[in-house]
Amino acid sequence: MEIMEWVRFIIGAVFLLIGMFVFLVEMIGVFKFHYVLNRMHAAAMGDTLGLGSCFVGLMILNGLSFTTLKLFLVIIFLWFTSPVSSHLIARLEVTTDEEPEKHYGKSELTEEEKKGGEGR
Amino acid sequence: MSKKLTEEQYRKTFSFRFRQWLDGTKDPYLGEVEMKKQKPFVEDAQTAAHRIQDEKEVEERAYDLEHNAEVRIFNRIYRVFAVAFCIFLVTMLLIGVSDLPTFGDAHNPANNEVAERYIEKGLEETGAVNIVTGMILDYRAFDTLGESHVLFIATCTVLILLRLDRKEDREANEADDRTHEPKNDVILQTVARILFPPIIIFGIYIILAGHLGPGGGFSGGAVIGAGLILYLNAFGFAKTEKFFTAKTYKVMSFAALACYSLAKSYSFYTGANHIESVIPLGTPGAILSSGLILILNICVGVVVAGTMYTFYCMFRKGGH
Repeated sequence: MEIMEWVRFIIGAVFLLIGMFVFLVEMIGVFKFHYVLNRMHAAAMGDTLGLGSCFVGLMILNGLSFTTLKLFLVIIFLWFTSPVSSHLIARLEVTTDEEPEKHYGKSELTEEEKKGGEGR
Repeated sequence: MSKKLTEEQYRKTFSFRFRQWLDGTKDPYLGEVEMKKQKPFVEDAQTAAHRIQDEKEVEERAYDLEHNAEVRIFNRIYRVFAVAFCIFLVTMLLIGVSDLPTFGDAHNPANNEVAERYIEKGLEETGAVNIVTGMILDYRAFDTLGESHVLFIATCTVLILLRLDRKEDREANEADDRTHEPKNDVILQTVARILFPPIIIFGIYIILAGHLGPGGGFSGGAVIGAGLILYLNAFGFAKTEKFFTAKTYKVMSFAALACYSLAKSYSFYTGANHIESVIPLGTPGAILSSGLILILNICVGVVVAGTMYTFYCMFRKGGH
């Protein structure tokens, strides 16, 4: 039984370390890139993969209990909200960009592209 | 033996850049990250004339000591009262300080008896399982009442400063929303529709369970306020105005603060006169227990949620 405990601890720790590593990569990316959309790409990695594996590691370490369910709900909530906020930032950046030629190789966006996801 | 570098070569080395970064002489992001330059301040003739007119009027009405007798009298009385009030305040505080025990003495009641009493008798006297809630809403309820009032006064000030007075201005601002942020975003609306109810329910849960575990009015109110802000961002003012306007906020906050004051006045009155309070403490751990704490938590939650939402509305565009 003690071996099983150890195996669980090691699996959980590995997941946590993977999450930490992803967060480190995210951090470097955010400070290294200079354009909004590039930085967002780096930041989104931490919000999804890094957070996901950290919480999975914590869930494995914690074992089955009510706390595990709560951790799972936190993951669901953050995976719901983080892409939406990134989407809004990206959309605002695209609609208000002052140098589209430099960033997209295109001088003018069409009306359709500018509208993005508006309306139904 | 180390090689001697010229100034040019030294500027390219890592140690030079590190030195710059350490001293703060160079901003590594300057010129690299996109930033908009601030527009120079320009004033057209009409606003300038308006401003000069305003300044003149203020000067005449408030500062013209030679021609305005009212201002002169007010100024004199004001000085006398200011000095009298300062002396009164200083005297009161000095009397208070002179009665205090030596600062930092290990035998002071604050250092041993108070904490002991909270831990040993907290559950018995307040009925709250969460000792912290018992402290802030029972032993120190007066302090929390002051905090709620600070929030209310801050919102009133922001309303005075930022609210657009005319309805046309507000409507023009609302129509111009596209320049500030994406509007009617389907993705955001769908997610908001799914997440809004759980967020509000979670906030209510935190408020109602404040005396049973971690939580309480401040944190629960913040969660509800965040939920309302999400709803506003997704659906715009037209929809939120149906259930939440500045008037709603005023009525809600006033009712909550009045309820808090009345409830606490009652318990202060009974406590000071050694009358048995009729409000039962209930069994510790049940949701309807710990006397007034639940009601006070709800009041604080209402004030905090309204304050967060109103602040956001005002700073966004002075609407509502």
